[in-house]
Amino acid sequence: MSVVDTADSRAASAPGGGTDDNRGGPAGTRGSRLSPLERTGTGTRVVIGVALALALLWTLVPLVWMLLSSFKPSEAINSADPQWLFDPTLRHYTGLFTGGNELLPYLWHSVAAAGGSAVLSVILGALAGYGLARSGMRGKRHLSFWIISTRMAPIAAVVLPLFLMFRQVGLIDTVPGLILAYLTFNLPFAIWLLNAFFADVPQALEESARVEGCTNWQAFRYVVLPLTKSGLVTTFVLCLVFAWNDYAFALVFSGPHSQTLPIAASQLVTQSGIDWGQLCAIGTFVVVPMMLAGLAVRRWLVTGLTLGAVTGE
Amino acid sequence: MTTDTESSTTKTHSAEPAPPRRRIGFTGRMMAPGIALLAALTVLPFVTIVVMSFSEVHLLGGLSLDFAGLSNWARFFTDPDMGWFWLRTGLYFVLTLGLEMVLGVLLALCVWRLIRGRNLVLSMLLLPMFVAPVLVGLLGRFLVDPTIGLYSWVLEQLGYGGDVLGGTFSAFAAVVAMDVWEWTPLIALITLAGLTSVPLPLREAAALDGAGRWQTLRHIVLPSISNVLLVALLIRAMDAIRYFDIIWVTTNGGPANATKIVPVRLYETAFRFFDFGYAAVIGLAMLLASIVIARTFVRMLDRKGLAR
Repeated sequence: MSVVDTADSRAASAPGGGTDDNRGGPAGTRGSRLSPLERTGTGTRVVIGVALALALLWTLVPLVWMLLSSFKPSEAINSADPQWLFDPTLRHYTGLFTGGNELLPYLWHSVAAAGGSAVLSVILGALAGYGLARSGMRGKRHLSFWIISTRMAPIAAVVLPLFLMFRQVGLIDTVPGLILAYLTFNLPFAIWLLNAFFADVPQALEESARVEGCTNWQAFRYVVLPLTKSGLVTTFVLCLVFAWNDYAFALVFSGPHSQTLPIAASQLVTQSGIDWGQLCAIGTFVVVPMMLAGLAVRRWLVTGLTLGAVTGE
Repeated sequence: MTTDTESSTTKTHSAEPAPPRRRIGFTGRMMAPGIALLAALTVLPFVTIVVMSFSEVHLLGGLSLDFAGLSNWARFFTDPDMGWFWLRTGLYFVLTLGLEMVLGVLLALCVWRLIRGRNLVLSMLLLPMFVAPVLVGLLGRFLVDPTIGLYSWVLEQLGYGGDVLGGTFSAFAAVVAMDVWEWTPLIALITLAGLTSVPLPLREAAALDGAGRWQTLRHIVLPSISNVLLVALLIRAMDAIRYFDIIWVTTNGGPANATKIVPVRLYETAFRFFDFGYAAVIGLAMLLASIVIARTFVRMLDRKGLAR
């Protein structure tokens, strides 16, 4: 399906299966088969090693620092010199659920709003994406373009009219309001992405199912859907990540009854200063589930994040 | 944009009652709920924002719109600061996109050379993509905090003692760096996908013909992934136009407007100064810019046969 599949399978099968992919291996093990290009010299290997080490440092230090700080006593956080050794404490985490900082409602709003929008996006996106993939209607290209262009609209420009509309119908400060708002970017994404996944399913499969007596719906439900499971899961996860990470919409549309975790995090920034320990704890709380979800669908990420534009060889 | 929708939705409906061509009816029915909802969520706001741009919007004591003619538009075109906001936005995008493309491709080339631990390294490198942008901003503030920040401390050891988010140049550099931190992995991921699909015989043939590593890269590898790089660039460009969370929580457009890009300006015009009419004009201008880019985007992909 996606090109990244190839990357994975190659990396996995390089020692045994692939005569073609032994670039970095110790010189001499399979040297005779390799063209000069495939042999990486020591110098190059050192350069690549150093570059990757720097890249990992640049990428991971902020995350590790956030994780560490979430377990640090406040004195260690507020020290002018970086503290690497400290007595770990769970105070910042327990502090999130006790006293004035009751995080549970925020967590619930986040789960409901992001989850609801992701579920709705996948259901409606699967229907519309399949319809679009199989439809022979005229103007399909215009329809496709319109769908994807709505996904590209600047958030600030979308929020503005939605705010007035939601105010008129009483959707401000409600979880359903947030779900609807998130659908403005998740629904076109889901339709477009699932359309790409469905287009890869050979139409002959549904034809034969129909010959066997299936209705159109049954052919879709029992033949096509199971074949696109990975696409459905990827779409769900990406929609979930987009909605879970949203800040701009939640900032405008949510109130005491619907504020989400990113809002909770930003509210720790007050005039009197910032409780960095709590912020790092919330941060860990917000970030870790999405990282795990994202890595779980890594194989299909390229297809997903490029909206199916980079598929196949 | 609006006409596209109307024509397509009517088509969807008109296809339904034709009994001999049932398949079109079925696909039409499948599409109807999603498309209808999307239309409601986009066409209505579009009409609303157009109306707003010609109005004075009052929020106190119930919503009311007073027709204001072209005054919002006139203000937009005569606002002496507006040009700077657009210019700064352009600079921000060119810098972030440029750095992300260069670093992302270099990173992908390095990871590509890796056999052992490639999956592990790639997984670790991808992590920033899943961090909520608002947390990227807040974490950035933590790291460059003038008294307790880890990176401030490092900079101090290197001889730079100032408040990073307090200086106009350094604040701009900092928000660019945060964006680069978060999104370089995306470019690397897409590029790596392209690299692994470059046919090996092609590279072998080049090597047999005596091409050096650099020549092979320059004349074989890069041209064969140019399409993928184009996709990566355009995908990132479209998203870069959308988001502004990082700047909003780090500098709020300051200091002295140094990081005030157009979406930030729109947001504060609407939700800090409650000048919705003027904000609507800025919003429409942004929408227009993004539609032009989206059109180019789809057309370029089409020409390369990459769009579905």
